[in-house]
Amino acid sequence: MLQVRASPTFLPSTTSSSSQAPTPFPFSGKSKRRSGLVSAVAAPSANCAVRRSVMAAAGAAPVAAKLEDADALIDSVETFIFDCDGVIWKGDKLIDGVPETLDLLRSKGKRLVFVTNNSTKSRKQYGKKFETLGMSIDEEEIFASSFAAAAYLQSIDFPKDKKVYVIGEEGILKELELAGFQYLGGPTDGDKKIELKPGFYMEHDEDVGAVVVGFDRYFNYYKVQYGTLCIRENPGCLFIATNRDAVTHLTDAQEWAGGGSMVGAILGSTKQEPLVVGKPSTFMMDYLAKKFGITTSQICMVGDRLDTDILFGQNGGCKTLLVLSGVTSLQTLQSPDNSIQPDFYTNQLSDFLTLKAATV
Amino acid sequence: MVNNGLPNPPCAVLTADAARSLVDSVDAFLFDCDGVIWKGDKLIEGVPETMELLRKMGKKLVFVTNNSRKSRRQYSKKFRSLGLEVTEEEIFTSSFAAAIYLKLNNFSPEKKVYVVGEDGILEELKLAGFECFGGPEDGKKNIKLEADFYFEHDKSVGAVIVGLDQYFNYYKMQYARICISENPGCLFIATNRDPTGHMTSAQEWPGAGTMVAAVSCSVQKEPIVVGKPSGFLMDFLLKSFNLETSRMCMVGDRLDTDILFGQNTGCKTLLVLSGCTTLSELQDASNNIHPDLYTNSVYDLVGLLQKNYYWDNLHETVVREATNLSLGTCLTITRRAAQHIN
Repeated sequence: MLQVRASPTFLPSTTSSSSQAPTPFPFSGKSKRRSGLVSAVAAPSANCAVRRSVMAAAGAAPVAAKLEDADALIDSVETFIFDCDGVIWKGDKLIDGVPETLDLLRSKGKRLVFVTNNSTKSRKQYGKKFETLGMSIDEEEIFASSFAAAAYLQSIDFPKDKKVYVIGEEGILKELELAGFQYLGGPTDGDKKIELKPGFYMEHDEDVGAVVVGFDRYFNYYKVQYGTLCIRENPGCLFIATNRDAVTHLTDAQEWAGGGSMVGAILGSTKQEPLVVGKPSTFMMDYLAKKFGITTSQICMVGDRLDTDILFGQNGGCKTLLVLSGVTSLQTLQSPDNSIQPDFYTNQLSDFLTLKAATV
Repeated sequence: MVNNGLPNPPCAVLTADAARSLVDSVDAFLFDCDGVIWKGDKLIEGVPETMELLRKMGKKLVFVTNNSRKSRRQYSKKFRSLGLEVTEEEIFTSSFAAAIYLKLNNFSPEKKVYVVGEDGILEELKLAGFECFGGPEDGKKNIKLEADFYFEHDKSVGAVIVGLDQYFNYYKMQYARICISENPGCLFIATNRDPTGHMTSAQEWPGAGTMVAAVSCSVQKEPIVVGKPSGFLMDFLLKSFNLETSRMCMVGDRLDTDILFGQNTGCKTLLVLSGCTTLSELQDASNNIHPDLYTNSVYDLVGLLQKNYYWDNLHETVVREATNLSLGTCLTITRRAAQHIN
């Protein structure tokens, strides 16, 4: 019988009693906060860790430092993990200066890895996207949450005679297929309709041993019921979420409801917490650290979202750099409601090319 | 009642004495509908007899349902089609609750309401005089994810109401999300958060809790819940009927909505096992919601009450005529006999 482990969840619970506003984090705006203008020495990793533990001992979360000396940060790690949406590209548009920055890092001998919660494409399809934007990135360097779901099932020896029901898009299906798993569902179930007529009964496949839920623009009531029936009635059936992002940038112009909505719906009908394989869960971090033989303290995680990218980096014991070229603004970072502080923040990735330590 | 070998839950099974005591101590019974009165479109056995007996005993009957798919008027029609006479005014649906919430909170008539839900919500809103859109029609809308596509929305939407919606899709989720996130002061109201329900008699289906959780996770906000277990409907109900909750019994099949609603508002509570809750779920150590009483179905009330009624009448008419024993002696004999049978 497969064990179901709850993984950390970072969104409001969905209990039936109406709840109050989230309780404010103890570390409020009353304590000192560095403004963007105050120059801060870009502390090397050891000092940063010391600063963090001293502040933690004092009962306060250390605040993010504006990145001043990019070279020092680059020299202190051997691997960079990049989120994609809001860091490398926005929708289908490349962010300025990214190819040059990646070239600089490679020339300094750094390993580059790309970890995205977006499950709509497979690694192969992401490789192609990089190519169309003029960058040559190996499939093996890309870790999408679609891949993470398949890798997770492999890691627990999910039986090949069991099936996977997918509430999600092509990316998940392709990765499951590559990993040799049987699946049902996906985009075609988006055409299936149900009518709540008297006596109507939905059958479901009793061999489904896992339901994988990710972003799904073809989401509908049929899929919710199918997934719910499997999770509730098939003994030991796993409920796996690729990610729980509340919003996503499907187009450059605005924010869209993210994979967290679909996962929330299934949580709402089953009252079961999912196993999350995407950020901020460290599953992908552990996987790639093992694969490349790297220690996480030698990694810098670069992302645009606090509650996935930065938390992912922190949970994994990496250094963290927030870029303001995506969903998070400086205001959000510095808000008293925010409790997630990266080690550093900067405007965008290409700042690596321009930020140098002041020469005396 | 089969015990399944598990320890007894810390609430009492309904006996003849308990039934009599319950009925004597309340003036009104509040009934949930799905799993108590009907399952999908099938009436649960013995419901008409139960309602008739309670009405004969002078009890007020009120129906409180979290199912927002129909309006009160449509529910009254459903009752009639099943051979039961229940007026609109005796029915309180979560669709009605949503409309009343807006009214009581002086929702501006210049603002609009976006509905992720079905006809019941739309009808109640229109009856209350609000401009609303969305509903089943938006179930046909898709999103186009081309590079330049911009999802427009009505900036005069001042409230989004989310309830059970079998036509739920990404378009509606995104529309709700954008209104709540971008229209200043836009309310996020949930009719209820039931995870599942017997939408058809054949099996359980995802409930409003599904749609509400989807929107809540996307906007990262908790909704205002107007249906059970929120006590909102009770305030309105009490004003309508001049009742006291201490003289009311809530009868339902779900612990975290019906029974919690009854407990939160100070009513007596009776759980029936004819719906979504099993005896083992009630007895499970992880359950911490305990009704005052539980029984298989509402029809048990009839059998248990008539048992007492029978014996009460027996000593009066049959025994006294057959013997020369005093009333007091007859009473003692028949009561002891009744206890032995129980």
